[in-house]
Amino acid sequence: MHGRSQNSIKLLAGNSHIELCKQIADKLGIKIARVGAFQYTNQETAIAIGESVRDEDVYIIQTGCDSEKINDYVMELLLMINACKVASARRITAVIPNFPYARQDKKDKSRAPITAKLLANLLQIAGCNHIITMDLHASQIQGFFRIPVDNLYAEPIMLKYIKENFNKDDLIIVSPDAGGAKRVAGIADKLDVQFALIHKERARANEISRMVLVGDVSDKIAILIDDMADTCGTLCKAADILIENNAKQVICIITHGIFSGSAIEKINESKIDKVVCTNSLPISNHLKNCSKLEMLDISSTLAESIRRLHNGESISYLFYNNS
Amino acid sequence: MRDLLVLGGTSHPNLTKSICRNLTIQQTEVLSKKFSNGETSIEISESVREKDVFIVQSSCGHVNDNFLELLITIAACKTASAKRVTAVLPLFPYSRQPDIPFLPSLSGAPSISETKEYYTFESAPSTPRPLSRNSESGKELTNNSSSSPLEKKIINNNNLKMPIPNRSVNFQPKAIVTNSASVNFLPQVDENGKTESGYKQWISPNGTLIANLLTTAGADRLVTMDLHDPQFQGFFNIPVDNLYSRPLLKHYIMDYIPNYQECIIVSPDSGGAKRATAIADSVGCSFALIHKERRAKFANQPPSTSSSSMSVSMSQQKSLNSNYTTMIPTTMLVGDVKDKVCVLIDDLVDTSYTITRAAKLLKDEGAKYVYALVTHGVFSGDAINRIKKSGIDKLVTTNSVPQSEHVAILGDQIEVLDVSRIFAESIRRINNGESVSMLFDYGW
Repeated sequence: MHGRSQNSIKLLAGNSHIELCKQIADKLGIKIARVGAFQYTNQETAIAIGESVRDEDVYIIQTGCDSEKINDYVMELLLMINACKVASARRITAVIPNFPYARQDKKDKSRAPITAKLLANLLQIAGCNHIITMDLHASQIQGFFRIPVDNLYAEPIMLKYIKENFNKDDLIIVSPDAGGAKRVAGIADKLDVQFALIHKERARANEISRMVLVGDVSDKIAILIDDMADTCGTLCKAADILIENNAKQVICIITHGIFSGSAIEKINESKIDKVVCTNSLPISNHLKNCSKLEMLDISSTLAESIRRLHNGESISYLFYNNS
Repeated sequence: MRDLLVLGGTSHPNLTKSICRNLTIQQTEVLSKKFSNGETSIEISESVREKDVFIVQSSCGHVNDNFLELLITIAACKTASAKRVTAVLPLFPYSRQPDIPFLPSLSGAPSISETKEYYTFESAPSTPRPLSRNSESGKELTNNSSSSPLEKKIINNNNLKMPIPNRSVNFQPKAIVTNSASVNFLPQVDENGKTESGYKQWISPNGTLIANLLTTAGADRLVTMDLHDPQFQGFFNIPVDNLYSRPLLKHYIMDYIPNYQECIIVSPDSGGAKRATAIADSVGCSFALIHKERRAKFANQPPSTSSSSMSVSMSQQKSLNSNYTTMIPTTMLVGDVKDKVCVLIDDLVDTSYTITRAAKLLKDEGAKYVYALVTHGVFSGDAINRIKKSGIDKLVTTNSVPQSEHVAILGDQIEVLDVSRIFAESIRRINNGESVSMLFDYGW
């Protein structure tokens, strides 16, 4: 390796999703590095480093989750990156399955901040050399960075799930909004099934006013696919419309299950038959409270991408195949 | 005012209000709210195009939330074509990270926020401690300590010197973490903070990162007050105006302390000696210093008290097994405070361990009345309750962070000085391109 000594993977766990980090560590057959983040009583975050990361290949697992602590986790990630930089790590990769502030990616109003861009800048100045993320809300966010960004897709896992659980003749794939139409149409093409679209008119963020279904869903199992489920208002309304239009069943498949506020109660009361979502955020608590919820495991995809990145192999294989 | 806009973050709305009142301008509204997933959302109500924008945000409460809110607001102003964005940070976030030898506890250490009936302000437990760390008394012992590095070392040293037959080598004193699961990944450390493999566990310094984050967000200039480390200014590539609370404190001493010429200015630790001597010189008082040091302790030999002006609080030493010659920490008072009014001066009080211990020492040495003058009163954890029960007779702090809750608890024991005039005047001067240095000496 260009005369430099081989180094090894150091996997660091942020406080946001330790479960996922453990799974990744198991899949890679390594131990989580002895680095911990904690808060002082004045609520400032500090990073304690208990083993050397000098000249190592560092991966920090931190996802955007928990409405109370999301900013704490962002700061924790920045401080951890900086700590590794100070400790002379050779390369620092932030593994952020759910990129926080991804929806604030444009100046939609006067004097509104482009926070996703700000976060990209902050990560880079902190010393991040590489980003691994999954299903970015807008893939253009990759362009906010001057460092390489590997945007993984949950699509192969979703396709596998659909193929294993449903007969494709009964299916119709539905996009709950126009923004996701392209992504969803791609999945429908790969499965070779029908595609429908729900068009919504949004009055304010997180509130929907009116929805129109484009396509025929009668007597089909409607599969709603979206990149994230936050308050779940969209999904529940979409399910109502699909059932009104004689869909047999409504299944939602989602990458990032944020489930903020009363989302889980909404799902429980709604006409949705099943919500399938990845563990890009910690959802084990929600699984207990919601029998309709099912989990897809992305830890193998992330572990494989870390392994490939470390060994300098191609990541794009993972875009089309299950690891 | 030429194109001057003052915005306030959510951390300290009252300070922003008084700054604007002092400048006789209308505060620019910032709509700061949270999305349902917790992400901060900022909207600025007025046009900031080609304006000179000042954003006031202190470091208090939920520090990370407030800091990110500040970064987002700065970025919002920058993308909205503000001419210049100045961040006004009365208390600079992450300016002091207590360098505690961090020691994880597997029991998931709770934060130390509940009121306790009894506090020890001793430098160390003054009675011999039972031997086993894992017994109930061990728990009591850690309860009384928890945050201060000094106390931890002492406890640790006590244990070391006591002949404990079955004491495990790895020990786990309580750490002051607030419920973070990832600390469980940290290795066990011995009393020197070293892991089994001999790697010394360390806490990462954050100063440069915080400076870089502010600059990256787009801040063109910073105004802050009494930086804990003046070197912090050097972390920035943008101008930083570090204002001083010294004139304010000086005025308080001269105007409100009876016979102030007779009083003694005391620095609670050697790090603050320079700050305290500067005030002592300018008001013409004498000066004393409390000094923590690790010094060799010899069996049954009292510490040197050759000069009467040096007295050493070493009550804890009597309790120690004196057969060993080891380094133990002591708290020494350099100077005579008997029957005097003492004025403790510090820039930042967080957990209040240092200042309450200092007050206790002063009272033990015969001080008549103890004032504590503190620029930034953060008082996190159970600090306020400690102060209430401590030897501090009057606590004087500034409103660089919100104090209303503290005033509600301490009542007459606390006085709050207003820094909004200094900040308002510095904003006016920066906006007009006038010199700010005059504020350093005379206040406003």
